[in-house]
Amino acid sequence: MKLASAIVALVVLLAGALWWVGQVAPESPIEVGNARVRLVPGGGPMAGYMEIRNHSEDVIRLVGATSPAFGNVMIHRTIVSDGRARMEHQSDGVQILPGDSAVFKPRDLHLMLMQPRGALEVGDQVEIMLRFEGIAPAEWPVAFTVVPVTSQ
Amino acid sequence: MVITGVLALLLAGCADEGWHGKNITGLMQELEFTLTDENGNTVTEEVFAGRPVAMYFGFTHCPDICPTTLARLAAASRRLPESVREDLQLAFVSVDPARDGPAQLGEYTGAFSDRMLGLTGTRKQLQALTRRYRITYGYDEPDANGDYEVSHSSAIFVFDAELEPRLMLLDSLEVPQMVEDLNRLLGSP
Repeated sequence: MKLASAIVALVVLLAGALWWVGQVAPESPIEVGNARVRLVPGGGPMAGYMEIRNHSEDVIRLVGATSPAFGNVMIHRTIVSDGRARMEHQSDGVQILPGDSAVFKPRDLHLMLMQPRGALEVGDQVEIMLRFEGIAPAEWPVAFTVVPVTSQ
Repeated sequence: MVITGVLALLLAGCADEGWHGKNITGLMQELEFTLTDENGNTVTEEVFAGRPVAMYFGFTHCPDICPTTLARLAAASRRLPESVREDLQLAFVSVDPARDGPAQLGEYTGAFSDRMLGLTGTRKQLQALTRRYRITYGYDEPDANGDYEVSHSSAIFVFDAELEPRLMLLDSLEVPQMVEDLNRLLGSP
């Protein structure tokens, strides 16, 4: 009986210790949330949206992206001026200051996903490799969820 | 004092008259065009005759702002009172005829609403239409893959049942604002 109690106590302690280690372990330098691809029918390009948070103490820069599901991926920003919309290629990438985040969202920054290689469906997961400067490793694979074209 | 009051009223009236979009009543010519629809048929403005239409100019190789605006328009039309919703037609005019054939257009518009008609035409036909509404668009140089960008007008044009241009819904409007404007223009008083 005493032995059983001791074992239970030991297990609880161990679990607690593991939890504590998990809490203090260094967090990932970046975090990518709400990663989604808006499905556009017809084989045309699609837009990828996400939020990248920079938890590191360094200035980082998203400089490119590739995906097995698309022939070509570019970083674009939609600019509307004088009632006219156009897309601007972000050739210098997107800088994210320490503690800051970059939000890729409709009518703003987006990944332009060109030449889809196969038919996608809502709910599919698409891997996109994000390439950064300022952190190691430089490449971060992110699973994007395919969402309906009507989602905002 | 009275004069100031009247002036203030007039100024407030000129500012926006309570519309979220831009009231363009009487400022532009009535709708007129000859284009090809998503079924490959040659159509004129008569295709909309007798019913109001909300028209957006874009192209299918526009992954960000075009789907965002069209989705908002489709969502707004679904939230209108039934009588207005049943009446209102939606149109998407592609200014990129080289890439947007009828089949491509049909697949694209169908993703937003079965009430949306895809239209395009020759450069000349498109120019004849876009000039009437001072809509500008242009093409960039193609890149190594043959991809190119198209800049284009970002507003939705709303025509009444007589095909008179009445309202410009800017791309910055959210769905509830579009619903309010469309209902105010097309709903029964």
